[in-house]
Amino acid sequence: MATELDQLSASAIAAGVVAGDFTATEVARASLAAIEARDGEVAAFLQVSPELALAAAKATDDAIAAGEKVGPLAGVPVAFKDNMHLVGTRTTCASRMLADYDSTYTATCVSRLLDAGATPMGKTNMDEFAFGSSTETSHFHRTYNPWDTERVPGGSSGGSAASVAAGEVPVSLGSDTGGSIRQPAALCGVVGMKPTYGAVSRYGVVAFGSSLDQVGPFGRTVGDVALAMNALVAGGRDPRDCTSQDCPVDFLEHLDDPVEGRRVGIIPELMEAKGLTDEVKSAVEGAARTLESQGAELVEVDLPHMGDSIAAYYVIGPCEAFSNLARFDGVRYGYQEPGCATLAEQSSRSRAAGFGPEAKRRQMLGAYLLSSGVYEKYYYRAQQARTLITQDYAAAYERVDVILMPASPRSAFKFGEISDPTEMYLSDMYTISINIAGNGGISVPLGLGADTHLPVSAQLVGPAFKDRSLLTFARALERGTDAGAGMGDGAPVAPDFVGRGGDLA
Amino acid sequence: MRELPDVLKDWEAVIGLEVHCELTTLETKMFCGCPNTHDAEPNANVCPVCLGMPGALPVPNKAAIESIVRAGLACNCEIQKHSMFYRKHYFYPDMAKNFQTTQGPVAFCMYGHLDLDVAGEGAAERPDGTGVDKAADGSYTTPVRILRIHMEEDAAKMNHLGGEEGRITSATESLIDYNRCGTPLTELVTEPDLRTPEEARLFMEKLRRIYLTLGISDCSMEHGSMRCDGNVSLRRRGETRLGTKTELKNINSFKSLHDGLAYEICRQAEVLEEGGVIYQETRHWEPSRRRTVVMRVKETADDYRLFPDPDLAPYDLTDEFIAHCAAEIPELPDAKRDRYMADFGLKRADAEQIAGDPDCAAFFEEAVAGETTKGAATVANVIVNDLTGYLNAAGIAISETSITPAQVKSLADLLASDAISSNQGREVFGLMAESGDDPAAIVDARGMRQVSDTGALEPIVDAVLARCGEQVEQYRGGNKRVVGFLVGQCMKDSKGKGNPKLFNQLLTAKLEA
Repeated sequence: MATELDQLSASAIAAGVVAGDFTATEVARASLAAIEARDGEVAAFLQVSPELALAAAKATDDAIAAGEKVGPLAGVPVAFKDNMHLVGTRTTCASRMLADYDSTYTATCVSRLLDAGATPMGKTNMDEFAFGSSTETSHFHRTYNPWDTERVPGGSSGGSAASVAAGEVPVSLGSDTGGSIRQPAALCGVVGMKPTYGAVSRYGVVAFGSSLDQVGPFGRTVGDVALAMNALVAGGRDPRDCTSQDCPVDFLEHLDDPVEGRRVGIIPELMEAKGLTDEVKSAVEGAARTLESQGAELVEVDLPHMGDSIAAYYVIGPCEAFSNLARFDGVRYGYQEPGCATLAEQSSRSRAAGFGPEAKRRQMLGAYLLSSGVYEKYYYRAQQARTLITQDYAAAYERVDVILMPASPRSAFKFGEISDPTEMYLSDMYTISINIAGNGGISVPLGLGADTHLPVSAQLVGPAFKDRSLLTFARALERGTDAGAGMGDGAPVAPDFVGRGGDLA
Repeated sequence: MRELPDVLKDWEAVIGLEVHCELTTLETKMFCGCPNTHDAEPNANVCPVCLGMPGALPVPNKAAIESIVRAGLACNCEIQKHSMFYRKHYFYPDMAKNFQTTQGPVAFCMYGHLDLDVAGEGAAERPDGTGVDKAADGSYTTPVRILRIHMEEDAAKMNHLGGEEGRITSATESLIDYNRCGTPLTELVTEPDLRTPEEARLFMEKLRRIYLTLGISDCSMEHGSMRCDGNVSLRRRGETRLGTKTELKNINSFKSLHDGLAYEICRQAEVLEEGGVIYQETRHWEPSRRRTVVMRVKETADDYRLFPDPDLAPYDLTDEFIAHCAAEIPELPDAKRDRYMADFGLKRADAEQIAGDPDCAAFFEEAVAGETTKGAATVANVIVNDLTGYLNAAGIAISETSITPAQVKSLADLLASDAISSNQGREVFGLMAESGDDPAAIVDARGMRQVSDTGALEPIVDAVLARCGEQVEQYRGGNKRVVGFLVGQCMKDSKGKGNPKLFNQLLTAKLEA
């Protein structure tokens, strides 16, 4: 029976590998073939790692042949955002600064997926150091939205979202500081989850905003995202990340629980926000009705300080970014400007040439905001706003189990369409407050928008460390949307790429 | 330039210290698992965390927090239950991340004090009537407030090659050794309560004794594990406003601290008396040329862009944790000194010296076990004079010598019972150190035991008195010091074995008769 890799979920692949329907090596070759056939047009990858992939697949096949127990992601091809270290690959953060930087160690999130049996296919494109919402700030190249290659995939984890949407891999990892998983997931029509801050280790993920960054998975089904989450939290708290916490939860266990009688919060103000397109609005309203039809109760809630979240984010994020990126001075590693007479000149010119405009903009902003006399005025007040926003969410969760809202205000935009940085920042208007509060959020595809015929999504957000419940609601939405949009089990691969390369004999 | 005592009559010196101390006794670095030693090959004790590799995260060393809390308690500080780490930014290759993880406005330890006992010659540096009550012998006690002791990480070590004096400005190459980067480092900041170089020196010595007793560091100023910067300004006696201060760096001994500050006070006084201006600047002490030179002028305050480290959660120390730290504090040097004085009748200076070094104190306590008061005082004497002199000459620590407390006790017993004279004692100590033999065996083997039997000594005394009529006349004429000559004659006749104290007594008795 000929099978197309891109028609299989991660769980189906793992089950097939374990059952002997196909080998992990065959799956890896199929994924490499799909990448070969599709990535010329998508450009999701910065680096494909066939040697690592085939070696890992062989190890999985050998383990199965030897009768050993294999992990829940046995033979599942995965891609990693290029800010995650994996020994044997470069970790460039899509920056000239780290263009030749070889990973010196492997990030915990990466090693946990590999420990679960996953096959590493390579590293995906991103906005430089994760600064952006379109992957256009990558130093190396654009990534094209598989649904319309004249459009951006979103960002900053645009490569990871696009690789899943194009059917190159069933699962990938991204990082989300202000929406960098959920917004590209929405623009590419895949599921993308930012777990609660602390659920997944940040060790080995190049930091942007340490108090905001969180790693999470992309998949075409909610089940695959839950499967990847299980692998990410397996092994408990990471002793190398003292902000991580033990998360002893099986995310698959209650995935198909009914949502009947549970309460879904709706924030009317957000549904009327400027910039929200009609098609996204009506899709999210449809999602609310889907949940209601399954017996959930819709409850209007209020987040009075939500409007301050973008301002707070653009203080806290740049401050932490300035600090985290200070280490890139060309002394120990990274781009070093040749021929400088003094140390100061070398640092200064290496940084000037190594960083792109958006990376410079954020660091200069952070340097200003942290300077004495300014700090009290902005950083301190941003932290106060953060406390208020967190309290707003906590109060809302006393009345509801989950809140439903858009993930992105609009579907994918064209390259160059948004050139004003502050307008670009509004792409994350629905996602940023979740990073500020530290709670979990998930982007769930709702099919194609009525006007643009491009993917549109809803976002579900939940209380801290209630990420399993979030997945249950996401699954309910997926189940309900399947029927309406005819999506089968989960979101489809972008039609232009379906079946191109990647036959599993 | 005028001399210091003269200057301090007209000017009040206001001195504050910043004391950095590496927690050298900890196994691992502050925020990673790398070994906390500096004697490895350059850049051997490094990992992604202390090299500031992208994606690496800090994990705090709990033992370091315990150490600093113990230091704070020993320095009478208030332990702050809630505090956090901050990032202090500056661009320099010795700091791998280009920020130093340190503490913010609230440190683990705040508002402590140490009381200084200032005695001897150094006490005279502080003129009478300047805020302290001096005892008849000129000694006084003065409190020094401690603003804070905070936790941070040390930077890497840089070697600048080529160019002059290892400075970066004209170096052709700069080598960086990151072994030191991330070493747990405490910084203590005093209030500007010190008034003389002697007080500054005594404060550092006292602090060092406390840290050594706590066992948190080897406190080597020579090797840089304990470092001190001195801030000093002058104001006219009676003036309440502070003058402009200078910061003194490169102080690698107690003597440098004292002499550097003394020089700086005299220099500032000269400048001010000539109508000049003191610039706020950092100055470098050059011990060989006995002067300070400008390192850099601070025109504006550095902007370190301090903000709470988002990778490290705030600390909330529990009462249990603090109580646990307090329970780990051994008897501190001052208490130990007082106990030695009370229990063994030691002289204050001897007691202070022994109590200030935990290895020495342990040695002493083992040697005096079961001793009489007199025996204990003699043990102290041997340790402070003979043993210390021997160790200094050999350049080794007390923990490294093969001389045992039992040997010192044996030697002290011989001295205390007048079996040998103090001169013989020094000789026996030397033989003991060389051979490792027991002092009693040395004395017996060499027939050195001194004669303390008056019956055996009297004939010698009589013979000397008969022979030295001239000196006897002088004595009776009022020159009592001539008895020393006569004792010497007796010692000669007894071939050094007679007890000189007894000879003295016998001679005096017969001359006065």
